[in-house]
Amino acid sequence: MTIEPELIWIVVYVTIGGMLGCLGAHLLPVGGAPAAMGTATGIATGTVQIMLGAVVTGLFTAATVSSFSNNIWLVSLAGAVGATIMIQVVMFMANVLYAFGCGVVPVSGRVAVDPITKAPQTAYKTPQTDGHGVPDVVFISGTVGGFMGGFGGALMYFALLFYANFMYGTAVIAALSIFVANAILAAYNIRGTTEGYWDPKFKKMPKALIGSFCVSVLAGIVVMLATIALGGGA
Amino acid sequence: MAAAEEKKAEEKKVEEKPKVEFKFPPNETQLGIIAGIIAALITIFTGLPAVIKAVGMIFAFVWCADSVRKTSKYGLGTGVPSIGVMGTGYGVVGALMGLAFARFGNIGQFYPGVLVGVVFMGLIGLVSGFFSNSEKYIALKIPRLERAMMELGMAGTLALLLEISIVTGSLNFDAVVTRVMETGVIAFMFILSGMAMFHPYNACLGPDERRERTLMVPVEISGLLCIILGFALLILGTSPWGPWDPALLIVFGVVIWVVFYTRFIKTCMKECYATVGTGLIKTIE
Repeated sequence: MTIEPELIWIVVYVTIGGMLGCLGAHLLPVGGAPAAMGTATGIATGTVQIMLGAVVTGLFTAATVSSFSNNIWLVSLAGAVGATIMIQVVMFMANVLYAFGCGVVPVSGRVAVDPITKAPQTAYKTPQTDGHGVPDVVFISGTVGGFMGGFGGALMYFALLFYANFMYGTAVIAALSIFVANAILAAYNIRGTTEGYWDPKFKKMPKALIGSFCVSVLAGIVVMLATIALGGGA
Repeated sequence: MAAAEEKKAEEKKVEEKPKVEFKFPPNETQLGIIAGIIAALITIFTGLPAVIKAVGMIFAFVWCADSVRKTSKYGLGTGVPSIGVMGTGYGVVGALMGLAFARFGNIGQFYPGVLVGVVFMGLIGLVSGFFSNSEKYIALKIPRLERAMMELGMAGTLALLLEISIVTGSLNFDAVVTRVMETGVIAFMFILSGMAMFHPYNACLGPDERRERTLMVPVEISGLLCIILGFALLILGTSPWGPWDPALLIVFGVVIWVVFYTRFIKTCMKECYATVGTGLIKTIE
């Protein structure tokens, strides 16, 4: 039996997609339970749920584009843009709710001065809390995270749709499932809350990427074996 | 006088409260083995009526919820729902792989090939648990996390396979794709399976969490899932046993849901310190 190059591409793309998902999850503003009370920076839910929400939207746009194009860049970028728009809307709405509902201003709890806009942070922070809402730099970090996650998810979707020859629905649900298995490693690594790329927890990111690499390669092999069993990618 | 009597009666009532009934005999290992074997056997016999498959599904979900409980017991950096969604994700990938291998090595109506997916998902869960727990990598240091994640992958795959088998009446990949994936039934399955896995521990966790009480919830949610799968089966008309099969499944689901819901509420009422009615929602003056 000969192994066709398409089968190898499945493993490569699933691995890249899974690792991008893990990396993107590290960049998101994850607030967890403290953010639900307005006492931590970020969106008020866990890493996997935020990433899942963004990637489902990204897969919607990627699936729409893949119905009339089989260009890998077009499909992947469509997924990335969909996920980015979703995460930006969520972050913006969180800010609106925090500012006009709770009466707190978006402010980071980990740095004294915003690394990008140089706006002072400590003066606006409520004492005993860990920041509020989604400040500028967190917004930018979250946007990049959503872009990477969406790109990774759509890349996996592309490989499953055009190389493994799954149908649209099957490819979407399988890409989503592999994505979740990678996002969970990021969630384990973050442990609660993170603000983005300057957060001290971001330095531990390479360790999660190694784990994500191995899990993604295994998942890619699973898909490859399934494709072979179904008739050699045809 | 009357107040004192009332107080006395209340004290007596409170004293009677801490009474634990309904013991669940198998421990975690025994439950895993029993549920795994029963669910695997029912999975490979595809010609069975939907109700029997539903029984296997309930066993698989109880195992799933027990695995989530094991994983989340020590306090992770993420929410319990994430673990449940991950279990469903493992289940979908494993089910797809199992279905792809179903046509190998079948003897009549028996398809032992689907268990390849279960084994592979166990492997992925083990690797994932190893990297999460190892000192060199993420270093969560949770006792037996590897085993819990491995069991989660295996149980999730079995549960998803049984659900697919109920809806399509077979384990044919093309039939599954056209009837489950492309019709959108998978969306219900995905989120309700996740619910059955994470909701029990998410709802019951706390200092007074008791395993027997927590494990009533997955059975109850499986009842709800049976009702939805029954309607899907009725509309798709894929059952080899005619319309009686889905009708029986819906009745079975309703009975399971009612019985375990009332039982869970009664157990909670019995084991709590006191239940106090708060009346209507009050506003701050």
